[in-house]
Amino acid sequence: MRRTSLIIRNDIRRRLKAPMATILFMIIPLAMTAVIGMIFDPGAGGETTLPPIKLLLVDQDKGLAAKFLIGAFDQKEVKDMFQVTLVDAATGEKLMKKGKASAMLVIPAHFSDDLADQKPTALEVVKNPSEEFLPGVAEEFAGTMAVGFSAIAQVFADELKVIQSASKLELKDITIAQMTPFLEMARVKIIALQSYLSPLLLQMKASTTVKPGQTAQPKGFNIFSYIMPGMLIMFLLFIVEAFMREIQNERADGKIRRMMFSPLSTRELITARLFSGWLMGVLVCSLAMAVGSLLFGIDWGNLPLVFLLVVISCFWCAAFFGMLNAFFKNKNQAGAFASPIILVFAAFGGSMLPLEQIPQGMRWLARFTVNNWFITGCRTIVDGGVPYLSFIVLSVSGLVFAGVAMVALQRRLST
Amino acid sequence: MQQKILEIKNLNKSYGEIAALANFSLDLEKGEVLGLLGPNGAGKTTLISILSGTLRDFTGGVSFKGQDLFADRNLRNLIGIVPQEMAFYEDLSALENLLFWGGLYDIPERELRKRALELLAVVELGARSKEPIKKFSGGMKRRLNIAIGLIHKPELLLLDEPTVGIDVQAKVNILDIIRNVGRQGTSVIFTTHQLSEVEQTCTRIAIMDKGTILAAGTLAELVRIVGEKEIVEVSGEFSAGDFSAIIGQSDGNGMEILSVADNQAHLAFADSQAIPAMMQHLFQHHLPIADLKIKSPNLEAVFLKMTGRSLRD
Repeated sequence: MRRTSLIIRNDIRRRLKAPMATILFMIIPLAMTAVIGMIFDPGAGGETTLPPIKLLLVDQDKGLAAKFLIGAFDQKEVKDMFQVTLVDAATGEKLMKKGKASAMLVIPAHFSDDLADQKPTALEVVKNPSEEFLPGVAEEFAGTMAVGFSAIAQVFADELKVIQSASKLELKDITIAQMTPFLEMARVKIIALQSYLSPLLLQMKASTTVKPGQTAQPKGFNIFSYIMPGMLIMFLLFIVEAFMREIQNERADGKIRRMMFSPLSTRELITARLFSGWLMGVLVCSLAMAVGSLLFGIDWGNLPLVFLLVVISCFWCAAFFGMLNAFFKNKNQAGAFASPIILVFAAFGGSMLPLEQIPQGMRWLARFTVNNWFITGCRTIVDGGVPYLSFIVLSVSGLVFAGVAMVALQRRLST
Repeated sequence: MQQKILEIKNLNKSYGEIAALANFSLDLEKGEVLGLLGPNGAGKTTLISILSGTLRDFTGGVSFKGQDLFADRNLRNLIGIVPQEMAFYEDLSALENLLFWGGLYDIPERELRKRALELLAVVELGARSKEPIKKFSGGMKRRLNIAIGLIHKPELLLLDEPTVGIDVQAKVNILDIIRNVGRQGTSVIFTTHQLSEVEQTCTRIAIMDKGTILAAGTLAELVRIVGEKEIVEVSGEFSAGDFSAIIGQSDGNGMEILSVADNQAHLAFADSQAIPAMMQHLFQHHLPIADLKIKSPNLEAVFLKMTGRSLRD
């Protein structure tokens, strides 16, 4: 035990004397998180909101229903969401080709007449192909309006006909006697509908799913907290791998041979190496997470749980690379194989691409990577849960790897 | 009677078809500085690796102070090793390294520090004990490598080519240190392929090739193997075949061929009067000779006689 702790202290002292490599490994994931975060969310730094959607409105109808529809975009909530510009069809097409708007909504000619006559008509939405998300929102909104207008047109079909025809007459040609029966009919329908509309029987209430036992309130989306766990685990693998490769270096430069002349046993030496790699990983990872919180406002959730996840993940990394180094013949082989392994883990485990973006057929591979269990574990904790599965999978596989590393390294170091 | 500290009996170790050690046997007495002389691939490093316990699958026995070295692990703690490589941490200082390596032995901390400072003075690194080693010269690093091997006061010190890659001044310094270690009662096995180093440093010399000891003894004892013969080194642009063919046509006249290689050959003459006649014979056959050296019997001649090749081969 005394000799094991001597080696661990010596390792830590050496890292502190030449900290540049370790600091770099800590800075790179932070820098990459910052860069990727800025690319996908230039205003990032806290919770994100959608920018106003630039919508072009082409009114080819000029009728009453079209005026109602255009007026709907004047409502406050809708105004916050859409930045509407009224244009003619030709200008609209030109602006769309230049990509100056997310979508163009075309109200067709005879829209009001067709509604009044109960004839089928269609609102046309032209979407900007270079944008993915915002045109979709505009399309959804137009679809909702179409449903609403259809319902109104069907319930007030007769009244709309009269109002529509009246709107085309001169005021002096409209008589109260002509209008009264239709106004009365509308009044009766509104009174009948009142029990449904005021108050509405059906109301919509938005909420985020909370799993049983979770207490967290729905949180805003912070893109950095989405990116950083993936980056962190990828560079954690690099840090621990570099640390565990010391075994190969010490074999090559005669240190192990010299140690074997001392009372130090191979078991003590391997325990010390695994523990050093583990401890170093925990230190760097914890520090990077703390800096991530300060720089990007990342909320990691329940801190003791996150720390436990970091401790278990770092143990897994140390055990895994300890085991690999038992099978590598020399430091060149270790260097050549370790990086591709880490990159494959990163690619399939969700560090490079969000897990949801990985093709369905290959998604099962993520289960074999520490990246996947760390990332999903972090997300579960942020959502207020406890990542039991991550804890169990990483602990059990880490212990197996540590056992194999212990046996195989003892054989390797004594031959 | 001198006390035997190490007895190696019939060690055999092979790498596939190649025998690195073949029935290797050697004794070492207390305080003896033994130079193990052999060309590259002779099996010197294999021997050191077996003694250090980092190489297995061998046959034969090694006893240290009368006990099986591999049966009791504690015995190995009485041995110090100075590997060919710089086996220490370059980002630490010399003192920190000595404290770390010494810490692996059960030496009380105060005593360890005292011993480390003493050793740094012995290897003339006292003034730079707190500097990072990466700033040290090759010679300074070699001296520290030896100091680490001595930190736990071993009874036997194994040095694997401790002077590789350093300048003459540093080499002299290191050989002095090795001599002093022997004088203080520590037995030393010192592997090298530098003849001059063992001539200057060792109380006994063992010539080794192809995994076995060819001859062992003091320098005087070894030289007697060659006898009082004059050694002639012939150099020039000739092939080994041509040289052997021409020399074969001579009447010999008490001459012994020690070694023949392309461009160089060594001959031993019991009668120095026979040398001019042999040279004339070679010139008559138009052998392109560029240089001719006549030497007194020395370790090189012994080595050539025993191995049939020079250490440069």
